Amino acid sequence: MKRCLLSILLVLALVSAFSIPMWAAEPVTISILMGPDNTGGWHQVISDFEKANPDIKVNLIEGPSATNTREDMYATSFMAKESTYDLVYMDIIWVPKFAAAGWLLPLDKWFPKTQWKLFLPGDINGSIYNGHIYRSPVQSDAGMLYYRKDLLAQAGMTPPRTFGELVQISQKLQKPPGLWGFVWQGKQYEGLVCDFLEYVWGSGGDVINKSNEVVLDQAPAVEALQYMVDLINKYKVSPADVLTFQEEESRRVFQDGHAVFHRNWPYVWTLANMPDSPVKDKIGIIPMVHKPGYKSAATQGGWGIGISAFSKHPNEAWKFASYVSSYETQKKLHFLNGIIPTRQALFSDPDILKESPHYPDLYKVQLGARPRPVTPRYGEISDVIQREVSAALIQKISAQDALKNAAQAIRDILKR
Amino acid sequence: MKKRGLSDVQFGYLLILPALIFIVIIFLYPVIRNFWLSFYKLDYTAGGHLGFIGMDNFKNILRDGSFWSSLRFTIIFTVISVPIEFILGLVFALVANTRFKGRNLVRASILVPWALPTAVMAMGWQWIFNGMYGVFNDFLMRFHIISFPVSWLAMPNTAIFSVLFADIWKTTSFMFLLLLAGLQSIPDELYEAANIDGASGIKKFGYITLPLLRSSIVLAFLFRTIQAFGVFDLIWVLTGGGPGDSTKTVSIHIYNTVFRYLNLGYGASLVVVLFIIMLPFALGYARIAWREE
Repeated sequence: MKRCLLSILLVLALVSAFSIPMWAAEPVTISILMGPDNTGGWHQVISDFEKANPDIKVNLIEGPSATNTREDMYATSFMAKESTYDLVYMDIIWVPKFAAAGWLLPLDKWFPKTQWKLFLPGDINGSIYNGHIYRSPVQSDAGMLYYRKDLLAQAGMTPPRTFGELVQISQKLQKPPGLWGFVWQGKQYEGLVCDFLEYVWGSGGDVINKSNEVVLDQAPAVEALQYMVDLINKYKVSPADVLTFQEEESRRVFQDGHAVFHRNWPYVWTLANMPDSPVKDKIGIIPMVHKPGYKSAATQGGWGIGISAFSKHPNEAWKFASYVSSYETQKKLHFLNGIIPTRQALFSDPDILKESPHYPDLYKVQLGARPRPVTPRYGEISDVIQREVSAALIQKISAQDALKNAAQAIRDILKR
Repeated sequence: MKKRGLSDVQFGYLLILPALIFIVIIFLYPVIRNFWLSFYKLDYTAGGHLGFIGMDNFKNILRDGSFWSSLRFTIIFTVISVPIEFILGLVFALVANTRFKGRNLVRASILVPWALPTAVMAMGWQWIFNGMYGVFNDFLMRFHIISFPVSWLAMPNTAIFSVLFADIWKTTSFMFLLLLAGLQSIPDELYEAANIDGASGIKKFGYITLPLLRSSIVLAFLFRTIQAFGVFDLIWVLTGGGPGDSTKTVSIHIYNTVFRYLNLGYGASLVVVLFIIMLPFALGYARIAWREE
């Protein structure tokens, strides 16, 4: 009996001796949802990370390419307090909303202020809500002006800096309908707000000022909106079709050689310089035009990684987030997936400069980038701006009335 | 004889119990929960659950201009699209119900628009209506209907036209399907008898086809009305509700409120209002469906 008991104990001891280390070696799995990884950069980054950290496995969930659908997927999971996603690959405009709902962990203890200055200021500012940082920036984005270097050079002109210069050059060079002056995004959607804000900021205006007052109905913003209306109707340098354009429709027109100027995000550079592009090696970029005496501004976009408040493995999640934001990984993602880095130093990286000679120009644009209104109610505010700006562009109401309506609606939203 | 265990009726209930539980969980619970939610403030941008607020959500609806304008457009959209789809669908169904060579091919091809995923076909229509590259302009200009290209989705009236056009294109085939099914249930003997009596085609249509098709017609109308009232994906892709909110539907407004503004309590109250508007249609549909049995 005794021997029997002893042997059982021995077996148990042996089993546990083998199994405990095995449990410990069982890697922790963390999940992240993002768009389709078409060029495979993220798979590469994840397999490199897993090699360096054998105790962590990263489950990459490739969601739909529509960002609002992924936003819904995250929101639905968080509302149910699910830990489906440990990491949150976030568009800059989700940050305040998700943070205010309590769905994100503040990253302050891992990502101290001293490190912030290594990143582009716009990307950091857009990651902060109520004094806490919630996102480690990975990929930057900012609006800019593309122009046809060849056409301007032929006419002996220098790239425009002001609203007026853009119109003058456009009017001189354009031959509609084959060649328009300026194409941009005028459909009623988020991109319209991005375009609109660049004119507002470039005129010295804003939606909400530093003392938290809604100033969208003041003269600079009205002037900016009037300029957009005039581009189509008075100066006739933009076709009415811009009112139906998102990024891709407008890029088509520019890339097919049917426009002198084009407002878009950095991604156009690569596509417009593809071997089969009619405008290959014929384009340049400059910061957005502005009102004389004011500063050019770009709308800040971009992506970064946050950590879900419901994650069971926040430390492992941070390990991955900081790995992705590192110099080497961003560089890798730049070459594999064409992302714009968020680390300032990468804009002077010799390898990147060799492959992307426009990066010094891009850096100037990125430094002038400003975040859209940072509030959890941004979605609602954006819809108001979209609606009213769109109504003014189709000349249903005047620029003045549109922004009066918008400002009033935004005040109501913020009061609620 | 004294029965042991369950009576037949009890046993019957037992058999439908799994299905009943399923229906309660999938259909009834969300409806009840939605009604309950509509009396609460649940707004994640303001911090989540903020307690019972009585009728406040509904009072806010009265002042929500965006909701009322979207409701107006939704009604216009429904009132225009459903009758046109019905007439076209009926014509197609009558044609496809006659005997001719290649009938099966015609029937199948009429159903293609319905089989396409809406979002995909909406992307297609977006390019068709594109002012610079669109085939719609090319077509109209070749036939000299217009003399210069129109940017169809740029202005409210043409955008509303485009949205209606695409919707009618897609859902006429659904009307067709319902009406064809109705036509096929009419016995041939009735037409044979009418032929013997020497009735004209119009007489046969008026005295046999229409009366016997009545319940199919009402069903198709109710079904499509309910669907048209909830239209979302087509318009979301095609115009996003623009320009200037001119094609924004109630569903888009509710989607925005719930998913983008995360204002779930208010969103629930909007759903309740939509539910009440749709209730007569749904009840009418249910009555006919039951009577059919």
